[in-house]
Amino acid sequence: MRYFFLLLFLLMQTISLADDVMTRSNQITKNLRCLVCDGQSVYESNSNFANDIKKYVKKEIVKNKTDDEIYNFLKRKYGESIMFNPSVTLKSIALWLVPILFFFMGIYILLRRIRG
Amino acid sequence: MFLKKEFRIFYLILFLTAIFLLFYFSLFDKKDFQSRTMVGKEIPNLKAQSLLKDKIVSLKNIVNDEVFIVNIFASWCAPCKIEHPFLVKLNQDKIKIIGINYKDNRKNAKKFLKNYKNPYHEILIDSDGELSINLGAFGVPETFLVDKNFIIIDKKIGPIDDQFVKKASNFK
Repeated sequence: MRYFFLLLFLLMQTISLADDVMTRSNQITKNLRCLVCDGQSVYESNSNFANDIKKYVKKEIVKNKTDDEIYNFLKRKYGESIMFNPSVTLKSIALWLVPILFFFMGIYILLRRIRG
Repeated sequence: MFLKKEFRIFYLILFLTAIFLLFYFSLFDKKDFQSRTMVGKEIPNLKAQSLLKDKIVSLKNIVNDEVFIVNIFASWCAPCKIEHPFLVKLNQDKIKIIGINYKDNRKNAKKFLKNYKNPYHEILIDSDGELSINLGAFGVPETFLVDKNFIIIDKKIGPIDDQFVKKASNFK
């Protein structure tokens, strides 16, 4: 009976661990772009490329790698475009600033119109 | 604002023309996607089971002080059959080709090489796609031209052609 409970405990631990890996893997792959698909994330896609990345992410999680370590490795291999939310760099700064600039220009024009 | 009405219209037309030209010329851009992220970087020292020999092999033990090619292929991949004659030609030009057999059945891979000739100096088995991820690959076929210092100098996504063969032969 004692062995049965021990086995049950070990089984539950394994299931819980697998569940944690799955949850983290899903979170990470939702932030990754499937580079051979049209607008899908790695999480959503079932392509060979996406499946390889999913498998790789799970393996790295089991190896206790942090999310940043996994993202950085993939960025080194595939570039910034693998991220759905690319970081702000000197190259991409215009993409972040131009909409804000247009927003304030719009407000400025609107205010001038209202004042006559 | 500060500009006279006629200047405002002039700048608006200028702006819209620039936008139109930008979109118009982008229509003629080459649509063939070729990621260059790995070009200029050192190729990782891939280590895996050999397809034809019963041992683990690593890239840096196979090649030594020479320009070489790494080609990802699979027996189930139709474009790989199209590019195969070009690999055979490269092999005849005495360029070492290292194959990465991507998610393939061993028996089928060996049969493929028997039917189409084996241009590979060594073939590493990539059973789960990890070697390909390490190479920053998108799928099969994919080919990397690597220099003596293990730096990737060119990469081709999709089947290689005469142009790639010429480039590789020139680098030799």
